Amino acid sequence: MTNDDTTDRRGAPRRAGDRITTRTAVREAIRSELASDAPAALEQRARREDAGMSPVIELDHVSLAFDDPVLEEISFVANEGETVVVVGESGTGKSTILKLILRLLVPDRGRVLVDGEDITHLSFEEALKVRQKMGMVFQGAALFDSMTVFENVAYPLREHTDLNEDEIEARVREKLEFVDLEPDKVMQQMPAELSGGMRKRVGIARGMANNPELMLYDEPTSGLDPLTTGTITRLIMKLQRELGVTSVVVSHDIRSAFRMATRVALLYDRHIVFFGTPEEMTGSDNEYIRDFLGGF
Amino acid sequence: MANVFQRLNDWAKGVVLAIQEYFTLAWKAIRFIFARPFYGSDLVQQMDAIGVQSLGIVLLTGFFTGMVLALQSSVQLKTFGATIYIGRLVSASMIRELGPVLAGLMVAGRVGSGIAAQLGSMKVTEQIDALNTLGTDPIKKLVTPRVLAALIMLPVLTIINDLVGIIGGNVIASAYVGLPTSLYWRTVWEQIAAGGFTFRYIPNDFIQGVAKPFVFGGIIAVTACHYGLKTTGGTEGVGQSTTRTVVTASILILIIDYFMTQVMLAVFAE
Repeated sequence: MTNDDTTDRRGAPRRAGDRITTRTAVREAIRSELASDAPAALEQRARREDAGMSPVIELDHVSLAFDDPVLEEISFVANEGETVVVVGESGTGKSTILKLILRLLVPDRGRVLVDGEDITHLSFEEALKVRQKMGMVFQGAALFDSMTVFENVAYPLREHTDLNEDEIEARVREKLEFVDLEPDKVMQQMPAELSGGMRKRVGIARGMANNPELMLYDEPTSGLDPLTTGTITRLIMKLQRELGVTSVVVSHDIRSAFRMATRVALLYDRHIVFFGTPEEMTGSDNEYIRDFLGGF
Repeated sequence: MANVFQRLNDWAKGVVLAIQEYFTLAWKAIRFIFARPFYGSDLVQQMDAIGVQSLGIVLLTGFFTGMVLALQSSVQLKTFGATIYIGRLVSASMIRELGPVLAGLMVAGRVGSGIAAQLGSMKVTEQIDALNTLGTDPIKKLVTPRVLAALIMLPVLTIINDLVGIIGGNVIASAYVGLPTSLYWRTVWEQIAAGGFTFRYIPNDFIQGVAKPFVFGGIIAVTACHYGLKTTGGTEGVGQSTTRTVVTASILILIIDYFMTQVMLAVFAE
């Protein structure tokens, strides 16, 4: 889905030779990136596309304005087991999309559907219930800094399950191990004592503690060094591979986006100007998309 | 000209909206006191933070206020040879006015700013959103325990403040004026008894002196939570919320103190 009126909005013309070199380089980089993810991931991707999938998340012509319009006519679907990555420049309202899905914000127009249920008209209490289906990983991890790592991960379990203390501890250990942290080392630490990457992993562990069917990530790799970025990216892929959760990821890191995504949505100037597979995206002739891909 | 009216209109709308938000928050916080789940450990923690940890500052202000009251009144009363009334003056001022108001102002500064800063940082680091996402109502989890703790602890702090203030007066009365301690305390009691009793045993002065801090406690906690949860704009925003909380809560305490006094004087007038 390309939008022609956005193709000419960007910058000064560049020399044709430059563009071709960049494009080729980008495609090469992306191809090798995809290849390195092992054929299994690609295969899985293909399988998912074949299967008759039911949409878990559906945004239907959603518009939202604060003082100025932020999002206009946003539509996309995330099917079961799929990972949709919303990419775009900083400050284009990417995180707002997650807040709409969580119903922390209500759209001015359009509908947001979770499991086919329209959540735009839910009451506050009903919205709290719908949110229990989702695990959210915040940009800065948003760990409760007055609680230990253990209490943070145990929080959703204490709030919403009848598990006893032993079961809670077992679950917390399992989730911390899943995100490659040593439970005995970190459980009693405070969030302030952790590094950025560790905090993010604890954030993921807390998000998945309740075994949600849907995971949302807000800039999971921002502010991390390349190595940690790789680790977190692999972790998100592991989550989708082993647990089959549907994910919506918001990111400006196109490289890791391409590794995770079954489909990519490109947000530009309040609109989604592209929604399709990474392969379709690299093959696009749209000038903005090419510039965006060349921009990393 | 139209521009001026437009801005006036926007400003007035903003004010009305803020007041509406304030009372909605207060109403929800109080309603949640009676709804499950109860966050008992949060309540105890807040009672400790608001009450126990404010004890030092309240003891200090109470003691020195009592002393300075006795000192000033002794100078004035000496000219009439009426230094025997120091106790009456100190107890009346402390119990009815200075105890509640000073405890309120001190707690607004110490606790109000702390609550606003804490909730403000939680807001700007998305921890409030995280609570919402994890299916917890932040008002229930954060605001209700703080409001309830303040409603309980501020009257307690005020009673301690009154007591320490009267003791401070006692120290000055016996040290500078040579008033016997027993006489001082008898005049203190006479003053309390002169205010009359409700249900035969509860002094009216005491009711006045406890009703005020109860209201002030609510004002401090709700104001702090209101500004804390409304914080935007990073660390700078947290600073602004803190300042606004202390200023607004202090002004509200002083204004409402006046009106409560007027109402109580009418109610308890013979």
